Amino acid sequence: MEAQKVDMFIMSNGKYFESYQINGIRERLIAVDDSKWAMISTVQLKDPTVSLIVSILVGSLGIDRFLIGDIGMGIGKLITCGGLGIWYLVDFFLIMGATREKNMQKIQQLLY
Amino acid sequence: MARNKLYLLLFTACTAGYFWLFFTYYRVVTLAREPGVCLIKRVTGIPCPSCGSTRSVLSVLNGDLAGALYWNPLGFIIVIVLLVSPFWILYDVLSHRNTLFNFYNQTELFLKRKWIAIPAILLVLLNWIWNIYKGL
Repeated sequence: MEAQKVDMFIMSNGKYFESYQINGIRERLIAVDDSKWAMISTVQLKDPTVSLIVSILVGSLGIDRFLIGDIGMGIGKLITCGGLGIWYLVDFFLIMGATREKNMQKIQQLLY
Repeated sequence: MARNKLYLLLFTACTAGYFWLFFTYYRVVTLAREPGVCLIKRVTGIPCPSCGSTRSVLSVLNGDLAGALYWNPLGFIIVIVLLVSPFWILYDVLSHRNTLFNFYNQTELFLKRKWIAIPAILLVLLNWIWNIYKGL
């Protein structure tokens, strides 16, 4: 794929991934075929900031985990009242990373 | 999520759950105080969808299934998870298999289907309304 297109993608979607993953994504994007561009440019990625806000507001019901597609963890949080309030607090710090990880999984399914 | 991370998390959660159960059992029996750490209930005064599940699990332990159903039907799920998952994890770790991990992933996919997810959400909401009505 053209470097220009790839850089455009990285610029607009860089915040959805961990910083150490971006270089790998860039190299992989340059290597893949141009026909994948339509799928890659329209992929729905979750915003880590939104999941943090959801986590603070309704995190003890597990909605933040459901939002990023972590159904099992969401149910765990829901039926334990946010892990007795502990998991709820811990997830303030984990949820952004978890969202980026889920985004990475999504893009990996397209790229590899 | 990686297999080992899931197992570690589940195992930690189960251990914490057992400790919590012993702690509350001691509090209920010897101090005759009702359990309550729910953040939502403390802050807003309204019980959350899972309020009463500790009392529900304790009712199951006492053999009072109707009482468990009254306190919170979610308690049955917790009892099953608490009983089954430690042994399942042990089996998987000892035999180097992924049966629980595969089961977890398949359940996630199953629950993501619309015709399963929407009734499940409705059930949880109904349970919540019931909780508020009961005034747990």
